[in-house]
Amino acid sequence: MLELDKISKSFGAVRALRDVSLEVRPHEVVGLIGENGAGKSTLMRILSGSMRPDAGAILIDGRQVVLRDPKRANEYGIAMVFQEQSLLLNMSVAENIFLAQEKPFMRLGAIDRRRMIEAARACLAKVGLDVDPAMKAGELDFAARQMVELAKALALEDRTDAPLTILFDEPTSILEAKDVAMLFERMRALKSRASFIFVSHRLEEVLEISDRVYVMKDGEVVAERLAAGVSAPDLHAMMVGREVKGEYYREARQSPPRADVVLEARGLSVAGAFRDVSFALRRGEVLGVAGVIGSGREELTRTLFGFLPQTSGTLLIDGRETVLKTPTQAVAAGIGYIPRERRIEGLVTDISIAANVTLARLDLAMRHGFIDHKREKSIAEYWINRLRIKTPSAAQLCRNLSGGNQQKVVLARWMAARSHILILDHPTRGLDVGAKEEVYDLIRDLSAAGAAIVLTSDTLEETIGLCHTILVMRDGAVTARFDAPARAKPKQVALLEHMV
Amino acid sequence: MDSGRNNSRSDQISRRHLLRSAAVLGAGAFVGGAPLTARAAAPPTLVTSIRSLSNPYHAVWKIGAEAFAKSVGLQHVTLVTEANSEKGISDIRAMIAKTGGDMVLNVDPNNTPDARPIVEACHKAKVYVVTWWNKPADLHPWDFNPYYISHIEFDGVTNGGYITEELFKAMGDDGGFVALGGMISDSAAIDRRKGMMDALKKHPKVQLLDFQTADWQSQKAFDVTSSWLTRFGDKIKGVWAANDDMGVGALEALRAQGLAGKVPVVGIDGIKAAVEAVKAGEFVCTVTSDPYWQGGIGLSMALEALQGKFDPAKEPKIHREFNARTVKITRDNVEEYIKTQVDSHPTIDWTDLWSRVASPIVYG
Amino acid sequence: MTSTWLSPRAGPAAGSAAPKWRALAPSRFGAIGLAELAPLLVLVGLCVALGLLNPSFFSFRNLVWGVANSAAIPLILAMGATFIILMGSIDLSIEGALSVGTMIVALLCANDSNANNFGWWGPLLALIACTALGLANGLVHVVLRIPSFMATLGVWFVGLGIGTVALGGSEIRVLDRTIRSIAFERVLAFPLAVWIAAAMFFFALFLERKTRFGRYIYAIGGGEDIAALSGVPVKRTRILAFALAGFFNGVAAVLAAAQLGQANTTIANGRLFMTVTAVVVGGTSLSGGWGGIANSLIGVLIVAVLANGMVLLGISPYVHETVQGLMIIAAVALSVRRGRSLIVK
Repeated sequence: MLELDKISKSFGAVRALRDVSLEVRPHEVVGLIGENGAGKSTLMRILSGSMRPDAGAILIDGRQVVLRDPKRANEYGIAMVFQEQSLLLNMSVAENIFLAQEKPFMRLGAIDRRRMIEAARACLAKVGLDVDPAMKAGELDFAARQMVELAKALALEDRTDAPLTILFDEPTSILEAKDVAMLFERMRALKSRASFIFVSHRLEEVLEISDRVYVMKDGEVVAERLAAGVSAPDLHAMMVGREVKGEYYREARQSPPRADVVLEARGLSVAGAFRDVSFALRRGEVLGVAGVIGSGREELTRTLFGFLPQTSGTLLIDGRETVLKTPTQAVAAGIGYIPRERRIEGLVTDISIAANVTLARLDLAMRHGFIDHKREKSIAEYWINRLRIKTPSAAQLCRNLSGGNQQKVVLARWMAARSHILILDHPTRGLDVGAKEEVYDLIRDLSAAGAAIVLTSDTLEETIGLCHTILVMRDGAVTARFDAPARAKPKQVALLEHMV
Repeated sequence: MDSGRNNSRSDQISRRHLLRSAAVLGAGAFVGGAPLTARAAAPPTLVTSIRSLSNPYHAVWKIGAEAFAKSVGLQHVTLVTEANSEKGISDIRAMIAKTGGDMVLNVDPNNTPDARPIVEACHKAKVYVVTWWNKPADLHPWDFNPYYISHIEFDGVTNGGYITEELFKAMGDDGGFVALGGMISDSAAIDRRKGMMDALKKHPKVQLLDFQTADWQSQKAFDVTSSWLTRFGDKIKGVWAANDDMGVGALEALRAQGLAGKVPVVGIDGIKAAVEAVKAGEFVCTVTSDPYWQGGIGLSMALEALQGKFDPAKEPKIHREFNARTVKITRDNVEEYIKTQVDSHPTIDWTDLWSRVASPIVYG
Repeated sequence: MTSTWLSPRAGPAAGSAAPKWRALAPSRFGAIGLAELAPLLVLVGLCVALGLLNPSFFSFRNLVWGVANSAAIPLILAMGATFIILMGSIDLSIEGALSVGTMIVALLCANDSNANNFGWWGPLLALIACTALGLANGLVHVVLRIPSFMATLGVWFVGLGIGTVALGGSEIRVLDRTIRSIAFERVLAFPLAVWIAAAMFFFALFLERKTRFGRYIYAIGGGEDIAALSGVPVKRTRILAFALAGFFNGVAAVLAAAQLGQANTTIANGRLFMTVTAVVVGGTSLSGGWGGIANSLIGVLIVAVLANGMVLLGISPYVHETVQGLMIIAAVALSVRRGRSLIVK
């Protein structure tokens, strides 16, 4: 049995974990949920040995242990399966499974490759994955890579006498529905060999697979429930610390859209991704696109910004037929894109707010062909006031801003560029609760100002709460369309029905 | 050859001795950087400015300069440009400031344009200066009387031609040979090749099989020669190299295939390996500008001018700007050369300033 | 939990009717396969073309002296550099290490500037010194957390500085016949240098393919953070790799001293560029993780055959560099793993 006793961890002034205690019993799947910033990742890092707690104890079968590094954690039977990208794509499956564990295969100073491949085959059999262990990991798809990771974790059972605990960090976020089902089937079968900690945002899935669930909020465990006796909305309420009320998504501020259509799709298709998508987006409207991974909704948003050119159908912007082949064309047509990974795609964090705001339309800050810093500054300051960006000055580097404020800077850029159509691609991912609420306010502001918005979100609640209209997609096609006016929002279950 | 002419002011530092101590202590070569104080009444400082200490040529230059300094009992400082023109010029300016102009300068400018600011700085500070190898064509010592004493070069065309003639003599004036050039754009490489081509025209029975560049490097010369041997085989009756480093590389490639001593090689520079090869009969000849002499004679000219022993302004133009005579090393004089120049350092009469004036420098 | 590797317990779903997880589309295999074969195809094409233009290319004498012997030192240098580049690092100290190594060999064996005659102690000490320089690279890089580019640049200059101080700029001739015989002694028609290079190749190949060290090199190149999370001793491996590269540099230094019969500070000029070129032309990625020792053998041969071919065909030296540059771009363009990233930096 694995126990955590009053684990605490601080980063500077921020207390990431406060007296967290939990236990994982043999042959059990423990769900761990919480909003972003609740402390789940920190806890996982401590358990996998890549971070040390400031205080508290970790006990295995009643004996206190120190998980000094990942290798040590492995020796104590704890292994982590990461979301993705934790296999070395340039190495073979067998090499990945036994990375840093080659000792049993050494003969006269050399690695016995054939024996390692045989052993890897045995490990893969445990998870029911039938691939050649000599194949490079980079040649596998995501689901198969995850199974390889699971196999790698299970390989531990031959090296340690400690009970095996496998940490699953968001394993389903990159999987398609049928692969999720498959994963759960494997997990249930493997419960005879190991315990699991299952971290996910998808509450239904957590309830489906877990025996018990711990709920974390603001660095503390706020609840522990048997999965059998609790519902997803209950869990959600515990996570956010209040009932999910319309107020959370600023429903009172949801105003009806205006009449004029700015973006219209007629039978829009991209071969192999989605087909025959039609909608009409009006000024001031928030259009949500819901669907699981593989439903085609990610591709749809990318197409609307010119990343993924359409293969057939028609797209009309402001009533004019337009073909978007590159993001540059999209920007020129008045479309702005707020990507999910702000730090990577959306924001150049090492330059100032002012420079970021004017990035898409630098010409607005130019005079006689040169950048006019005074003009640039005044543009930036206008948007800092308008969007209430919390910063001492426009010259501040973006890396010094909070997540919510960074997101606002990206928005400010598009608004400065006079974009009247905004594509919000998971705009709240990675933000804490407070920052999320700021983004919700902002979306209402934008919508009230007449911007047309296409939104994809990590949670159905968010989509339902924020949008006027929701398109539901499955397997590349639109399966349903919901109107979601304030105080008459559709139910999640109703949407789910059309998603899976 | 200057040996045996005057023993009164000479020195006998053994290079062997120096290297042995350097190898053991690991730090013998950086000397002469002692701090100086600027005192107008103090004896003048002898200053040498050269490219680096990591090539044999300038290393010997420095030894010659130090030998001269010792013979007159004055302090000597070596400035190294490290192939950086700005560093070279600013170091010289700093040295002038430090000594208050109480110095003389013997300089091998890093690059052609460098000579002008150096000469101007010296002229302004009343510092006597001698330049070698590189200067703009329109910069003349007589325009900076009396402080710019002389500019001295060695004629690459003549040297390239000389070793070619020697090579052909060894080949019996018949058959094919191959030629290794220096860096393509290097003016020395161009001159030496021109000398070779000019000589070739006079010998219709000799045939140039191939010309390749090896960038002055022995390793490249080794590889190129290895390939030549398969391409031309026995047709190669001689190897011409624009410098000794490449010549030695070629010689080692010949040796690897048992041909050392059978195929004559010529080079330029007079490096030790080449001199030894001349002695062993594997090289026909090599030519040296005698950096030991260069290091000392430039300082000697400047010092004598400073001491008023002669007035540069009254010297004929051929003394102000000239190609100096090189030292040729062949089978005939190699034993003597090794005895007086390699095993020991030569005894040079540093007061004989104009003994090696050979020809005026021709621009064009 | 006591099962052994050789008697695996059957997995819960093994052999069941559960759907199999898929590998990616087979077209991708084809692409990778071709890219991996590209350097070999370039080499073969080059040889065939040269053979047609000048049949003496395939003469035994040319293959031994024009190609194999010329490739010996570059190959040994490339072995060390490959391990470093596989990690996504770079070793710029090659020339510095070579000049220190040749200097030690020359100063300790019978030579023309001092009375030493320590015979094989010279090469041995050169190996130790070069390994120590490599170790210094690794320690500076890992312990002080300085990028390998800067760390090895520093050691390069330190090496050149040591050479300059000790040699005072002059050159020293190696007179020891047994040491020089490394370059000239023939065993089964090939000079000993070629056999040594071949031995070094197989040694490196063994390290790469058969040892944990080799594994970890790939793991670090594929993703250092992931490797660390898996328990790979990243720091130790890095330091070891640089020391190993130093050792290979040392072997090359001994051979260079034997081949040219002398040591001077400029003996290694141009070696760094040639080595990195050979490794990259062979198909090893500068960003690490892909490629390997066998690739570098091919890369070295491409560069050596190219140089040999230039002379065999009597191509004017004025266009040498252009031709060489074009061939290198062609070789790399064929083998680059396109599609892994949109923008190549």
